[in-house]
Amino acid sequence: MDENKKGYFFTLDAVLGLLVLVIGVVLIASSYVKSPQSAQVEFLSDDLLNFFFNVKVKDLNNPYAGIGGQLWNQGEITDGDNSLLQQIGEFYTLNKLDLAEKFVQNVSFGAVPGQFYYEMWIDGKLIYPRNPTETHIKSKDKTNLLLTSKILTFGIINKTTSNAWGPYKAEVFVWEK
Amino acid sequence: MGKIKVHGRKGVFFTFLAITIMTLFVILFAPTSDISLQSGALAVGTRIGSVDNYISNLEGAYLETVLGNSAYRSVLSLIYYMNSTGDYLPDINGAFQEVLINGTINKVKIDSITGKKIMENHTITNWSSKISQIAKETLNVNTTIILNNASIYQTKPWSMEAELNLNFTVTSSLAEWRKGVKVTAEVNIEGLDDPYYLINTGGGYSNRIKRSTVEFNKWNLSATREHLRNGTYVHFENSGAPSFLMRFTNTLSNSSCCGIESLVNPNKIGSMDVMDSYVDYMFWGSTVTPCIELFNITNPATGAGLWDEFRFFKMDVNHVVSYNITEEYAVRSC
Repeated sequence: MDENKKGYFFTLDAVLGLLVLVIGVVLIASSYVKSPQSAQVEFLSDDLLNFFFNVKVKDLNNPYAGIGGQLWNQGEITDGDNSLLQQIGEFYTLNKLDLAEKFVQNVSFGAVPGQFYYEMWIDGKLIYPRNPTETHIKSKDKTNLLLTSKILTFGIINKTTSNAWGPYKAEVFVWEK
Repeated sequence: MGKIKVHGRKGVFFTFLAITIMTLFVILFAPTSDISLQSGALAVGTRIGSVDNYISNLEGAYLETVLGNSAYRSVLSLIYYMNSTGDYLPDINGAFQEVLINGTINKVKIDSITGKKIMENHTITNWSSKISQIAKETLNVNTTIILNNASIYQTKPWSMEAELNLNFTVTSSLAEWRKGVKVTAEVNIEGLDDPYYLINTGGGYSNRIKRSTVEFNKWNLSATREHLRNGTYVHFENSGAPSFLMRFTNTLSNSSCCGIESLVNPNKIGSMDVMDSYVDYMFWGSTVTPCIELFNITNPATGAGLWDEFRFFKMDVNHVVSYNITEEYAVRSC
């Protein structure tokens, strides 16, 4: 009888020891779990919108959109002190939507990593891309994480007459493909 | 049997000790609420920062931009109003404030008097409503703007300064901002009609403000001819000319900072021989230049001067000097 009782105690001790080991392994393993990538997407949409908001046309070194570039020579851009967002808003106000789309595409080239889609909206209208592909639309509908950044924009079309436009809500949507 | 009991007790103590240590490990290293608190604080900070940026933009660029827009339109409306009524304004600041804020003059919509849609949706009140609405949609903040008073004045000859005093309150779910602000905007006068011409000719002779490109020491007969032909304006230091805004109230005393003048084209007033200086504020001023001080800008002997194109054009002696008209082209009128 004494030998049977010794066996019960040893077994219980082994089980408890195993439990301790399992808990330890679980704790160590869980410390390597990484948080989701939501911060990167959020910063990307903020960064993109801040880029459009803070950078001025005169700061661009761009043969299409900068001072002395194609749009400047064509008279489509007349104020180098406009921010990129104000210039887009001006195109929108003047109903030059094709130009607004090309401008966004051109100045944001390379700014957004290839694994992300993005959209720009002004005053509730889709500016870029104006005609999204089916892949683009499906990707947006199916994405688990779609983040947006918003800001107000306004400006002057004619400095002599102080003809103002806006204010409009400008939004950028970014999501992973 | 006593030996077995001692061994059993030692094992239990060791087991309890092991369980206690593991419990401590679990408590110390399990995920805690610290991370979610940090992310919560970050979100609050971001939202406060967004509203801060909005307020900074509001009291800076936005209000200045829309004040410039509304001020220009207000002055333009007042010019059309004066042309419609044929009267000068009794008080430029009172009229300007009412038009700027409400789009009315003497409590009547100014657009209905002028017949032009200038102030519609472009008063400061309209612009304030727009920004409040868009800010609500974009940032979910409530913006209340209370407009106190407005004025317009000049410190430079070729522009006006519009000034607006207001209080605004911005309320979000997190915080409230309250501030009193004075906003100023500079408005160019070039391109606007001179109300002095309109009133004095019943709207028959309009002259837009356009700055002459002649430098102050380059005046001569030829430059004067171009100046008269183009209806341009010039600012002479220490001249007797009134400013642009003074013309709204027919205040023709000299402006210490901002006097501008143009020359009245005789061809546009029916080519009458008027015995007065054709400098605008003197031509239509209440004081007539004594004949002995008047000069015909012509040379009857040679036909030189300005009468070949601008017959009966005259200047007073001070302006003959200012425009550097030499004596061969200036003959006393009397």
